[in-house]
Amino acid sequence: MNGKIQIKDLIGLLARLAVGGLFIYSGLIKALAPAEEFGYAIESYKVLNAQLSLWAAYVAPWVELYAGLLLAAGVFTRLSAVFSGALLLFFEALLGQAWLRGLSITSCGCFGSGYGNSITREFTQNLVFLALAWMAARYGGHWSADKAVETL
Amino acid sequence: MIDRNNARLLALAGIMIFVSTIAVLLARQFNIGPERPSPDFRTFGPRTAPVQIYEYTDFACPACRHAAVKVDEMIKIFGPGLRVSFKHYPLLRIHPWSFHAAAYADCAGEQGKFKEYGDLLFENQEKWAQTKEKPKEFEDYAARLKLDWPKMLACSDSPETIRRLKLDIAEADMKGVNATPTFFINGKRAVGGGQLVDQARKFENILRAAKP
Repeated sequence: MNGKIQIKDLIGLLARLAVGGLFIYSGLIKALAPAEEFGYAIESYKVLNAQLSLWAAYVAPWVELYAGLLLAAGVFTRLSAVFSGALLLFFEALLGQAWLRGLSITSCGCFGSGYGNSITREFTQNLVFLALAWMAARYGGHWSADKAVETL
Repeated sequence: MIDRNNARLLALAGIMIFVSTIAVLLARQFNIGPERPSPDFRTFGPRTAPVQIYEYTDFACPACRHAAVKVDEMIKIFGPGLRVSFKHYPLLRIHPWSFHAAAYADCAGEQGKFKEYGDLLFENQEKWAQTKEKPKEFEDYAARLKLDWPKMLACSDSPETIRRLKLDIAEADMKGVNATPTFFINGKRAVGGGQLVDQARKFENILRAAKP
């Protein structure tokens, strides 16, 4: 490393902030709303029963928030990026099965109840973020907490 | 064995998780964050009003009945400066019929008479609130207001109505509401009619400025 800023490092940083920011926002908006609201959205995917949907709704926003924070700050960058990517893949699977089964989902629950995207739009958006998560895992190591700790 | 760098990163991760958790829990308690809108039939006043009041109410609660009079007065006095949104918080442990009352009021609201039905519930609270059998007053008030009772019955049993009420209750629980009426006036909490008036005074300049 010769100290020059390389374009891939910049892309890595931006990708990290974009995916991290997305998770922070979506986690926060849901953690500040009653879990039941998100629980109803999960229930509409018809994968979990009402009880388990509610439990998932209690846990998921916090997981998203923590994953987003760690990724944005670059703490265990690669692991955080891979974990975020895995979460996105999981969401894609949920959206995909709902689409294939023709479920009528009015709000995907992705960003709380006040935000409703169509399943296909949300699916496409997640693909973009999946690509960004890959870039964050590959090039997101610079300007990160990992790097800062190394230099201490 | 965890090396020193990883230990530092773990500590940093722990601090971030701890701080963010506390911040979110505090934000919930202090009502920071988006407010779930009430249905239109439970909302009075212009959308752009500078003072927004959310009231968590229970039709079987005497303090809510007194506060309702104050809220009505405030709406009359301050008109366009004020928007009041009602949310249900039936205290089920002490008021056996308040969930039903809330559901019927919402269903009356879907027929355009939430306020009128709610006023009748408040005025005659002592007649129905503590009865052992399901109060016949619910139907009587619907008849008095010329509402379609079979439609109200179907509506009150519908998953959509029950879900809406449960979400109001869950939201109130999350915000630490444990008494009725609880108000949030531009995000500031007030419990009871007295505190409502005190809090509203702080916004008097804005309210008066918005008067037509």
